[in-house]
Amino acid sequence: MKARLPSYAVLTLLVLFLVGPFFVIVAASFSAGSTLAFPPQGFSFKWVEKVFTVESFQASFALSMFLAIVATFAALVLGVPVSYALSRYRLPLAETVRTIVSSPIIVPGIVVGLALLRYLVVPFGMDITLSLFLAHTALVLPYAVRVVSASLENLRSDIEEAAVLLGSSRIGAFFRVVLPNIRGGILAAFILGFVTSFNQVPVSLFLTGPGVRTLPIDMLGYMERTYDPSVAALSALLAFMSIGIVFIAERFIGFSRYV
Amino acid sequence: MFQNRAEGFALALPAAIFAAVIFIVPVIILLSGGMHVNGHWTLSAYTDFFASSLDRLVLWRTLKLGILVTLVAAIIGYASAFAIVSLSPSSRGRMIGIVVLPLMISPVARTYAWLVILGRTGIVNQALMTVGLTDEPIRLLFSQTAVFVGLLQLFLPLMVISLVSALENMPNDVVPAARVLGANWLQIFFKVILPLTREGLVIGGTLVFVGSVTAYITPAILGGSKVLTLVTLLYQRVTIANDLVSASVIALILIVMSFGTNILLRKIATARNRA
Amino acid sequence: MIRSTFAASAALLTLAAGAMPASAQEKTLTISVYAFAQDAYNRILYKPFEEKCGCKLVVETGNSAERLAKMEANKNAPVVDMAVMSMADALTAARRGLVQKIDTSKLDNYDKLYDLAKDPNGDGMSVGYTFYATSIAYRSDKMDIKSWQDLLSDKVVGNIAFPNISTNQGPPALYMLGLSMGTNAPDLKKPIEAVGKHAGDIVTFYNRSSQLVQLFQQGEIWAAPIGRFAWEPISKLGLPIKWAKPKEGQTGGLNVMVVSKGTKNEDLALEFMDFWLSTKVQKDLADALVDSPANKEVKVSDDVAANITYGAETAKNLKLIPAKVDLENRDRWLKEWNADVAQ
Repeated sequence: MKARLPSYAVLTLLVLFLVGPFFVIVAASFSAGSTLAFPPQGFSFKWVEKVFTVESFQASFALSMFLAIVATFAALVLGVPVSYALSRYRLPLAETVRTIVSSPIIVPGIVVGLALLRYLVVPFGMDITLSLFLAHTALVLPYAVRVVSASLENLRSDIEEAAVLLGSSRIGAFFRVVLPNIRGGILAAFILGFVTSFNQVPVSLFLTGPGVRTLPIDMLGYMERTYDPSVAALSALLAFMSIGIVFIAERFIGFSRYV
Repeated sequence: MFQNRAEGFALALPAAIFAAVIFIVPVIILLSGGMHVNGHWTLSAYTDFFASSLDRLVLWRTLKLGILVTLVAAIIGYASAFAIVSLSPSSRGRMIGIVVLPLMISPVARTYAWLVILGRTGIVNQALMTVGLTDEPIRLLFSQTAVFVGLLQLFLPLMVISLVSALENMPNDVVPAARVLGANWLQIFFKVILPLTREGLVIGGTLVFVGSVTAYITPAILGGSKVLTLVTLLYQRVTIANDLVSASVIALILIVMSFGTNILLRKIATARNRA
Repeated sequence: MIRSTFAASAALLTLAAGAMPASAQEKTLTISVYAFAQDAYNRILYKPFEEKCGCKLVVETGNSAERLAKMEANKNAPVVDMAVMSMADALTAARRGLVQKIDTSKLDNYDKLYDLAKDPNGDGMSVGYTFYATSIAYRSDKMDIKSWQDLLSDKVVGNIAFPNISTNQGPPALYMLGLSMGTNAPDLKKPIEAVGKHAGDIVTFYNRSSQLVQLFQQGEIWAAPIGRFAWEPISKLGLPIKWAKPKEGQTGGLNVMVVSKGTKNEDLALEFMDFWLSTKVQKDLADALVDSPANKEVKVSDDVAANITYGAETAKNLKLIPAKVDLENRDRWLKEWNADVAQ
């Protein structure tokens, strides 16, 4: 194709629209003024520092970190076996099982959160943190199944059958032959699940209790009270964290293949 | 393929049971709540919803925003996807990386940026005033325009990625062949490219539309209580009025929109492929 | 490789678990309050109380209507021990069986309260802790407000935020708007219609007063009906913002404390309420320009008095909507609002 100039113009505009806002928050977070303005008034680290002194941010960051790790781990513990069963066993109702485990991705998050609050938390007096863990596990499960299934499809099944013929137990064959070969997929699923859970808002919206709030929900509340650049600083820090994770993942496992 | 069914089920069941108990059962109970009012089964909550002009307006506004965002994303998406596939393989990879990146950043952070950009003291207003297009800053926040822009930025990457992979799978010689046969660009797009990339457009379109109509953060921050959408309306019904019945009506409408789009678009895609 | 990944995840898990808030060994009191001025409350009320009782306070924030909805959802197993809300919401909560009688014999400071704060709904279910005036905060460099009606004048209306109908400030502000239009009908029909005519111009309908600070700060709005409790941060923005004294007068409200029915921490809740009503705490909150005292022993400087709603006389002059009228008309207001304004 020849059309070089228009094509660069289109791409410049696209990048500006998609990534530009990110630079705006970064710039705003180093402002010396107390209002959110662009271009920022002066330069200082005070808002970045303030992020670390807001007590509720520390608690909600810990909660979100905890949830993202534990829920993604649990989703993989559930998701790897079901993906394996779906790709290697002739199961009746295989499509039904697939639909059930992927359903949390199709139902709007806010509906999931509300349903869990009213029919698990309230009637059974379930702990909010536990309900968040369950909700986030259900939410990450479809991603885990999708990414791990794709890795399994790409892995020829005759090698593990060969291992079994050579006298290995089925479980032994899974751990020694299959797992090492899909570790890239599992890692990619972990990162995708982590990011999904960490940034999740609609599901967590209703699942809050006194003193229990995930970081994005906490930020939404804080933003309502103040426009000061500390939320910009926190947003920028989180964005850098995500970019760092994705960059490392890209280097080592070619992450974007799995998304 | 292993034939041992018991083993297969043992592997599949924990996840299936987990999703069913934690997820499907509570959602079904919630939805049934909208048809069970004051102790008997009725559709009165649904007739109430469609009788209320506010509720109808919010439904219509949500649909309109979703359709508009999807359409504009498709137009920008095609233009960008053409540009991306015309790049050399290495810069193509880098470009896709840049497009995917925003998806990994917290939507709260991404929406927040628009407050800085669209506010009265924001960049857009500063630029307009510097250029002299306006003397007074114009109001951009808390409007449908703001919500539209926020949603478009949030979901555009999904459309671009889907269209890039669709264009990559398109045979290289069809466009030159059509040129030789004397087709103009418009004909080439609608007669050749569109049918061949339909699958990608359908996937991208579904993701963008469903994402837009079920988004919470963007309409909540950039629209406020002036630009209610179905999701923010549902949130208000629950948090302010504790009105679970009407919330479950909205929940069902959202689920129908989300499932329905999935099924409808998949049907369109396969039907045309067969034709 | 995969095993080390899992091992690393497990290690992270343990770390994350360690970072989680430790399950409290100590007594915990959960309260639900308004979102504004939390820094001041923390300094004056929460921290000193935690030291005094050797317990932990867990604070949830939201507006009065949100709190009521949440208490109703959790009716069978209350999450919150003690809450503050508007008089009308407290009356609703009482009627729906969400709150319990307050044992005022355990409140040492009860007798120090102004009479109108003692048992505002007459059902023994609530105690007032502050009253406030509601008027209009406005940018004096952009406009002058002499009447509530000025809010809707052509030059002003495109730059105001108006309280949503579901907030504490919504109905009183509409009531005053009605008075300025020559009607005092409790159905608020005329003022709602008037606001509805300008719904497209009004910048936003706010749900929490805490939002207003940044809206003023960013120049998004130039005027808004607000409660006096939200005035302090707005007055300190360094902008020429004034508190209007409209000719129709000011409205306002009384905020009350309630105790959740079936709470396991009744004694601790009462101890906290008593502390909040004590002369020192009430004075410090007044000096911080947060809450006007309901405790009549509190004496403040003239400077402070000018900035809060101080004294029984002021309180008596406020044009309030009685809680009963509020409850009887609320559904109707909401319907009219949804039909005229929300679209």
